[in-house]
Amino acid sequence: MFHQPRDRAEALDLRARWAGDATVLNGGTDLLVALNRDAIQLRHVLDLSRVAGFSDINRENGHWVFSGGATLAKIARIPVAALARAAMSTGGPAIRNRGTIAGNLGTASPAGDGCVALLANDAFVELTHATRGVRSIPIADYFTGFRKTALLADELITSVRVPADWKTAWQKIGKRGSINISLVCGAGGVSPTGAVRLAYGCVAPTVIRAKSAEAIIDRDGWSDGAIEAAAQAAMKDVAPIDDHRASATYRRAMVGVVTRRLLKELRP
Amino acid sequence: MSETQVPQVRVTCTVNGAAVDRDADLDRTLLDFLRDDLGLTGTKGSCLEGECGSCTVILDGAAVNSCLVLAAQTQGCKVETIEGLANGDKLHVLQDKFLASGAAQCGYCTPGLIMAAKVLLDADPNPNEQVFFEGMEGNICRCTGYAAICEAIRSAAKEWK
Amino acid sequence: MISSQPTGIQTDAPAAGPLVEPSTTPYLERPHGPVGRSERRIDGVEKVTGAALYGADLFFNRADLFATIVRSEIPHGHLLSVDSTAALKIDGVLAVYTAKNMPPGATNRQGLIHRDHPVLVEDKILYRGDAIALVVARTERASREGRRAVKAEYEKLPVVGDMDDALAEDAPRLHPNGNIMGGKRIRKGDVDAALAASDVVVSETFQTQTVDHAFLDIEAGIAYWRDGLLTIHASGQWAHEERRLVALALGLPIESVRIITPATGGAFGGREDLGLQVYLGLAALKHPGKTIAMRYSREESMRARHKRHALRIHYTVGAKSDGTLTAAKITVYSDEGAYASTGPAVLRKAASHSTGPYRVPNVYVDVYGVYTNNNPTGAMRGFGACQMAIAYEGMMERLAERLGMDRIELRRRNLIRSGDAVTTGQIIPLATGVECMDAALRQFRSKPMPPAPSAPHMKRGWSLSVICFGLGYGDGFPDASRATVRFTPAGRLEVATGGVEYGQGLLNMAGQIAAEELGVPMSLVDVVWADTGRTQESGSSSATRQTYFTGNAVKIAASELREQVLDIASKLLHVHPHELDMRDARVVGRFDASLVKPLDEVLQAGRERGHSLEATGIFKPRTVCEDYETGQSPRSFITYLFASHLAQVLVDTETGEVRIERYIACHDVGKAINPQSVAGQMIGGATQGIGMALMEEVVNVDGVMRNPNFTDYILPSFRDIPIIETVILENDDPGGPFGARGVGEPPLIAATPAVLAAIANAIGVQPHTTPCTPQRVWELLHPEEAAVPHEARFGLAPEHARMGR
Repeated sequence: MFHQPRDRAEALDLRARWAGDATVLNGGTDLLVALNRDAIQLRHVLDLSRVAGFSDINRENGHWVFSGGATLAKIARIPVAALARAAMSTGGPAIRNRGTIAGNLGTASPAGDGCVALLANDAFVELTHATRGVRSIPIADYFTGFRKTALLADELITSVRVPADWKTAWQKIGKRGSINISLVCGAGGVSPTGAVRLAYGCVAPTVIRAKSAEAIIDRDGWSDGAIEAAAQAAMKDVAPIDDHRASATYRRAMVGVVTRRLLKELRP
Repeated sequence: MSETQVPQVRVTCTVNGAAVDRDADLDRTLLDFLRDDLGLTGTKGSCLEGECGSCTVILDGAAVNSCLVLAAQTQGCKVETIEGLANGDKLHVLQDKFLASGAAQCGYCTPGLIMAAKVLLDADPNPNEQVFFEGMEGNICRCTGYAAICEAIRSAAKEWK
Repeated sequence: MISSQPTGIQTDAPAAGPLVEPSTTPYLERPHGPVGRSERRIDGVEKVTGAALYGADLFFNRADLFATIVRSEIPHGHLLSVDSTAALKIDGVLAVYTAKNMPPGATNRQGLIHRDHPVLVEDKILYRGDAIALVVARTERASREGRRAVKAEYEKLPVVGDMDDALAEDAPRLHPNGNIMGGKRIRKGDVDAALAASDVVVSETFQTQTVDHAFLDIEAGIAYWRDGLLTIHASGQWAHEERRLVALALGLPIESVRIITPATGGAFGGREDLGLQVYLGLAALKHPGKTIAMRYSREESMRARHKRHALRIHYTVGAKSDGTLTAAKITVYSDEGAYASTGPAVLRKAASHSTGPYRVPNVYVDVYGVYTNNNPTGAMRGFGACQMAIAYEGMMERLAERLGMDRIELRRRNLIRSGDAVTTGQIIPLATGVECMDAALRQFRSKPMPPAPSAPHMKRGWSLSVICFGLGYGDGFPDASRATVRFTPAGRLEVATGGVEYGQGLLNMAGQIAAEELGVPMSLVDVVWADTGRTQESGSSSATRQTYFTGNAVKIAASELREQVLDIASKLLHVHPHELDMRDARVVGRFDASLVKPLDEVLQAGRERGHSLEATGIFKPRTVCEDYETGQSPRSFITYLFASHLAQVLVDTETGEVRIERYIACHDVGKAINPQSVAGQMIGGATQGIGMALMEEVVNVDGVMRNPNFTDYILPSFRDIPIIETVILENDDPGGPFGARGVGEPPLIAATPAVLAAIANAIGVQPHTTPCTPQRVWELLHPEEAAVPHEARFGLAPEHARMGR
């Protein structure tokens, strides 16, 4: 069966009704890769690509509100530095025209650039059920394990709420200038009250924050010494592995490099 | 017992201005629909994962990797492929400049690349380097080393309408 | 940007002296037609409009049945059984074939040099790409489902995952004669004495990586058996050899096989071994009258296909304190993978190019091929010479450092000059390595260096490479090309060549040469190519040989036809044929401008008088096999190419990321038949070499390929390659068509060492392992953190595994 709801209510109803029996599809930049590799079959699909307003981005109450279907191309134009740069550093224009924020969050890859940027920005992921309503999950609680999230099988990621007034920064290390799977990526955010967030991709089973590094900046401020101590702490906060892309040692070292660069850029 | 009973979806769209209205397998990608159902073999499949851009077509004015779109998703959409670019015997300016610059060697990346370049120049006929890379970085060429392609696109930009 | 600086044979008129009679004026060969011009591609319009038909484009409205290959899930073991019961129950699946189903008389073997590779596994599995069954179905979907449902039973054997595994005392024997495929040696002078007497000795171990061709046009084709003829439409690099191999594998007489090559999207050596041709043929034989279609996925293409050899190169070089090279002692271990493929030839080319364009009087080389349970390794652009260039150029950089000498001047001191000998002892009559290097430097210095980077961790560096390369198969291997040219009844010039066009510009090379010789515009030229039913054997499109071999064959054929046409015209214009010329679709007087006849009229007269208006040319020069003991030969390669590349890089020393800021490629091609095409090959080849230098790597772990896709097999993109500046030198090769040599492989060969040397210049540490990914560059700066310690890993092979003397 192929469902192509035209409005949000219909989409939620279908999701509630079919739950895990119907595969959710929108931009297809993860799902169809798996299809083309014969890793999955598609027989029952819930296509969200025509839900009215589902790619909208609005400004509300000091937040940017990204509807779940907001594409990376649209996100790249929003003045949230880390998120916009993360969106631009993902694939080429064809990928950006299709890849969505909900898709990134649904896949929850530990390498997900967008997820890293959101994690450094205290975003809220809004999970909606047709009748139970909206659950607003702080991004720090959203990723629960390797490619596992707080999303239930009968819910949809309907929007992501990102504070608009943070100062953010982005770093990405790759083997090539374009279309990178990151070797290591990182995002930093500072709230208007000075709270610091440091988030990384590709160095743990999920995207991850370096909480002891954040604590050092919170406690000791932004001196060169504090930044160096935070970089060292961040390297201990992460759990990279050896794989065919890079070694754990290198990744850990790059967390240090990325942390220094993020903090120097964010330094008030 | 077999798995080959695939649900059919009615696909109603336009391809290069011509109306299309026919059934397709639910899991048929737009790439395979164009090539195997409609016989428009100009669009190519290569990496089949959105890394190379050989399958690039224009969907409602935006460049997309047709290997990552289901035909079923194109209801009411406007699809443009390489076959729709030339005007009879008169080549599109991009095609002509590709020939003039030697920007096609094996030619396999060429259709997808030209479609991506069309989207780029339609949005900005005088792209700076940053915009140029952002528009073209989704397309890989294995033969040319890109120089002749850049020359062709810049040359076409000068005559863009 | 192309700048052409012809040097060489002077063509000035004599300054003074008695008037020379026109009929004794020397025959100067100065192209006035398409040769030397950047004519538009003959196959260009169909490529830019999407009308060109590649293998998979032939399916539409033609394919009756679809075939897929079931491949081994294990890298090493015995195939115990294949159970197709479940597969055959699937709606649409017609048959599942195994080795038992090969036709009578079939050898079930393939391989370009040794027929050591089963088409369908009979017993032994040697890599995780070996084909164990062929599924034929009514639809592509059913064929894939059928493939999934086929159950194979294996007896696993321990995996020989790398060369060290293969050389271990207790290693499983992969082939009857063990794990060493064979080797090649060079013995010239007395290396040990020369090293002992040298002022300085430098040693290094290099490790190059397994590389994938990654052509974009994935293997695909159709085939049918009708009226006693098996016709296969599939891309390769050598239609006539594919025909021989298919016939042998399937037990058919050669005249029952026809190979037609569709539009081909790249090859780079990756289509030299058979791909899916025999499988298509088998399915066609089993389903007579039906058109079978088959295509690989990208993953299958990468898992199945042969790769570039990864080489471990132990290199010791000796020199005097003034930098003069005295000796080179080199031991190479080459990962052959599961089967020989063109490995024996790659070993030989690695050996014969092991000291590159340098004068080294004492040379000992031992190259060993070592079997493993990885993909068979075979032809890829560069063919052994590519990996060796990384080593010899790396040694020059190290030697310069050790001597405190400028690396350019060290090269200048040691580069061979015309009349010097290369590694094999072959004298090179025209050696232009120095000229290439100086031209690249001039181009480099024509623009100012950018200001130094402000961030202290960003380091800029530049350096260059100089390489040489013998074109053609060489080494006495039979190497010939045949071409036919004719004027059709409609008055068009048709060139027929067996050579494959895969983007490199073969059609234009052949067409422009014929058009030049016969004085017709390119608009009248058609090229028929790579169809064993219509064209003669022209050898493979590989080994940088087609311009020289097929260009010469075409030129010979065209000049034969030219003589025929002028003979015909002699009667019409009442002068001797030698007083006539062909230009602008006319026959004209060479000395008397009033003599003119439209070509059409001459051709018509010829037809009426029973002339064939057709001619064939065969170019079959002799090369001399390298001596078994010494590796020396007076003429291993028909001619040599020289090139120099220069790279300027910016390195982020904190992350190891390398950006190429500026890049110059200089090649002496003899004569650029089509300069735009030549520049395109230079830039495209350099880009592949940059990919090899920085990012491309097939990662095999215990016989399993970890990155059979483009997400993790990283190819250079727009952002990675600056606009490469090209400098073309034209020093006439007396044996080449219009003085042309060729261009295909040298651009890749010269690129990787130039990038590595530039990195070394930037960071002050010499790279030894490719690719120089960010991690590897970072590890050069933090050697104690290296994932694989350099010294510990790269010892020489154990004694028992080395060949004697």
